[in-house]
Amino acid sequence: MSLFAEVWEAVKAVGAGLGAVNKRISEPAVTEFYPYKKPEIPPVSVQFLALIQNEDGTDRCVACLQCERVCPSQVITIERKRNPEGKGFVLERFDLDFANCMHCANCVEACPVSAIVTVGAFEHAVYDINLLKADKAMLDHIGHEAKTWYSPKFGVEIRTPDGRIEKAPPEMQPGGLAELLAEGEGGEAS
Amino acid sequence: MRGPTTVEPVPGRTDELIINMGPQHPATHGVLKVVIGVEGERITRAVPHIGFLHRNHEKIEEARTYPQIITYTDRMDYVSGLQNELPFILAVEDLLGVEVPPRAKLIRTIFFELFRIASHLVWLGTGMLDLGAITPFLYTFRDREMILEITEKTAGARMLPNYFTFGGVRRDVHPDFFKDVAHFLDFFETRLPDYYALVLDSPVFQARAVGVGVLSRERAIARGASGPVIRASGVAYDVRKAEPYDAYPELEFEVPTRPEGDVFARFWVRFKEMEESVKIIRQALEKTPKTGPYKGKVPPRVKPKPGARYRAVEISRGHLGTYVVSDGSERPLRVKHRSPSFANLQLIPDLFVGARFADAIAILSSLDPVFGEVDR
Amino acid sequence: MSRMPLPADRLVQPRLVGYDPTHPRPWLERIAYTLFFSALWVMVILAYGAVPALFRHYGWLSTTAGFLIYAAVEAVLAFLLAAVVALILIVVLRKYLGKVQERVGPMHYGPAGVFQTVFDALKLLGKEDFAPKRVDWLIFRLAPAIVFVSAFLLMVALPVAGGWVMADLNVGLLYIVAVSTLGAYGVVLGGLSQGNKWGLLGGFRAGAQLVSYEVPLALALLSVGVYSGSLRLSDVVEHQYGLWHVVPLFLSFLVYLVASIAELKATPFDLPEAESELVAGYNTEYSGMSFAFFFLAEFVELFLLPGFMVVLFFGGWHGPLFGLEPGSFAAGVLQSLYFLVKVAVWVWIFLWIRATLPRFRDDQLMDLAWKGLLPLALVGLLVAAFLRMFLEVL
Ligand code: SF4
Ligand code: SF4
Repeated sequence: MSLFAEVWEAVKAVGAGLGAVNKRISEPAVTEFYPYKKPEIPPVSVQFLALIQNEDGTDRCVACLQCERVCPSQVITIERKRNPEGKGFVLERFDLDFANCMHCANCVEACPVSAIVTVGAFEHAVYDINLLKADKAMLDHIGHEAKTWYSPKFGVEIRTPDGRIEKAPPEMQPGGLAELLAEGEGGEAS
Repeated sequence: MRGPTTVEPVPGRTDELIINMGPQHPATHGVLKVVIGVEGERITRAVPHIGFLHRNHEKIEEARTYPQIITYTDRMDYVSGLQNELPFILAVEDLLGVEVPPRAKLIRTIFFELFRIASHLVWLGTGMLDLGAITPFLYTFRDREMILEITEKTAGARMLPNYFTFGGVRRDVHPDFFKDVAHFLDFFETRLPDYYALVLDSPVFQARAVGVGVLSRERAIARGASGPVIRASGVAYDVRKAEPYDAYPELEFEVPTRPEGDVFARFWVRFKEMEESVKIIRQALEKTPKTGPYKGKVPPRVKPKPGARYRAVEISRGHLGTYVVSDGSERPLRVKHRSPSFANLQLIPDLFVGARFADAIAILSSLDPVFGEVDR
Repeated sequence: MSRMPLPADRLVQPRLVGYDPTHPRPWLERIAYTLFFSALWVMVILAYGAVPALFRHYGWLSTTAGFLIYAAVEAVLAFLLAAVVALILIVVLRKYLGKVQERVGPMHYGPAGVFQTVFDALKLLGKEDFAPKRVDWLIFRLAPAIVFVSAFLLMVALPVAGGWVMADLNVGLLYIVAVSTLGAYGVVLGGLSQGNKWGLLGGFRAGAQLVSYEVPLALALLSVGVYSGSLRLSDVVEHQYGLWHVVPLFLSFLVYLVASIAELKATPFDLPEAESELVAGYNTEYSGMSFAFFFLAEFVELFLLPGFMVVLFFGGWHGPLFGLEPGSFAAGVLQSLYFLVKVAVWVWIFLWIRATLPRFRDDQLMDLAWKGLLPLALVGLLVAAFLRMFLEVL
């Protein structure tokens, strides 16, 4: 008799498995229709990095070399020269090799003026890997294209349609920015 | 005792076939190569070859500053990415003497356990794929996707978030975090019965798993196995209990063990661990204040005082330890990782020999090695 | 340093092809599937009913030339039918797996991806049919043909409606056993001839599995033969008026069900091509059309084995005729529809099992065949014989 009981148990268990599979048939598919419908990625997501320029077209970057120093895969190369008018430095060259970048956002975190930021663009696919070696023009370009970007210092910022840079409303901000917002608008590095 | 390192055909022996299983075999979970001799379907010899994914982690880490290394540790066991950061961070925190705020500890613990579930889900899916069932793979990956989305919202990346840091976490959690995690847990608990029905209770699976690849308690200890592998052999060793770290001392959980040591026991232990993780996360969610400090005071330049420290954590695959030697400069003198998959992988010759070929696949998936961490 | 081109002109833009899945058009999909099914129905009617009726009506079959033309037309029609069956079943399998796995399955190329298989077939046609250096060339090339021809030959004996069968053999049941065993040769030879160790192991497994499962399968068929008192398939179906065989011959039905899944080499018995163990098993080295023939044969069998199950146990084409005269063409059309629907249900169950279960191990497979199914089949045979005796006595 125990054989029959065993077989019956086995049949019941297989039935349970079949049921578990079949009940999913009516559930909606979770497939993402990528090229048709682009996913919305959160602003903190590290995809493309970009250099942000101020509204007047000058670089936010003050060439402090912090990002170059913290980059674990050492893909940032900066050359700077003394600012001819006034103090500080200006950039001569800013290269970032996306092919070797680990997308760790250490550079974004280290930047004191939120010049290098994460942007929401994520379609970096190219046919030639050398095209992923970005120079300053390209990083600036990505920054200009970006509608929103994120840096830990200033939180999420948005570019309004008329070209101004504003801090995003609190509901767009990721966590940990409550105290930052409480300090009020003091962030714009211009 | 060292085992043989190659498998050579025995002259005059014609009933043995020598096969290279891997590194491009569908069931080797990456890039393992096992040279096996089979007599029909029975395995007579097995020699694993590793190193196809060697990336020189430990040497690179000697040339990087402490904050930079965190990024590298992520890349070891890429399936449970975030968990790998912790042992290194704990060791450096000890050397620095940094106080970690309790809220940061709880957040870390929540993420740690979320990634345990994520990693076990990947294991479950790919393990069942190895055993021939295609459907659980897609179900588990769909559930894991939710964890990855939660992680991305807060930490900025899905698999390798680089989120923990000395003294806490890099940024505060997303405002939706607690809601999302609670939702995920509820959802996941409705999913678990399906996994039981499709895997553990399935008679075909039981036929494949019960009594297969039996690892004795003594052998498991002798080979330095850890994690679910050793717990399935009846040793209740869990770093979370043995040397508690972060918020684990405050949380109630059990260490599931099973005495059989076969493939079924290893599957069972991982299932129970997922359930325990759910419990742990629920407790931690209750305890975590909604706002508060998420990072302790850390000097801007991380320069631990000279000394050495070994800290271990229980990642999804077992005992991951990191030994950090500091000479007081910005860069460590030496970093050594003790990775669980590497130790568990040594069991391959023991368990493979005498098994059938199809069993070998089941055994390999029950060991659940990740080669980023084996080869480092 | 030269200036890089700006990102807008150099990034790869994803190409949007075919059907936009964000705007599903369920009605269009339903129409497409209905058309598919009707295409199958029309093919079945043509191959089994209309063309033979046409030739018989004009008396062409009595001349040699007429008979040869008839044979050629039937062969072409059977091949087309096989192709249509495979095309449909592949897409159905994928869509069904997609549905239960919470994804969408193929979706470009035709509404809801219903033409996916056509493009797959075109792709396979366009590929180089590559034979490695170490293969045993003749056998390597012959194996896919054997596999396909055996599946194809089975189609001849399938009765789809009253009087609609290409060859109403008086030894139909034996013919099924004989021809389906032939397919095993193709698989084994294909595995052994390719000079690849995975293929070799797959060939071994296939040989062991297919040969062992022929035995319970043959016994199950035999019990049907004993019970219905005829080896002719149309007689078997006629015998089921009143009571389908599945009720008295339930044990034989179970044996047939399990053994036919094993014959199909589908999960949980997909050991010969166990993807995660043997890479691709017996078809590791096949590419292009040779591979396509293995694939085609598999899906034709996925249609034929449930088809024979319906014939043997589920009353074949039986169903309400609504006053149509049995034996007339209209009745045949309706009966073939009943038959196809029954087959579709069983194909769905086969796919369902395939989506759920993991794979057995080789020795368990053998255990199941020789220790489980064979005794069960013998008991089933005994039951069939006893029931037959009672029927004779009554
Ligand atoms: S994201 Fe990380 S790897 Fe990439 S440039 Fe910034 S610091 Fe370097
Ligand atoms: S850290 Fe910021 S300001 Fe400093 S060099 Fe890098 S981008 Fe420029």
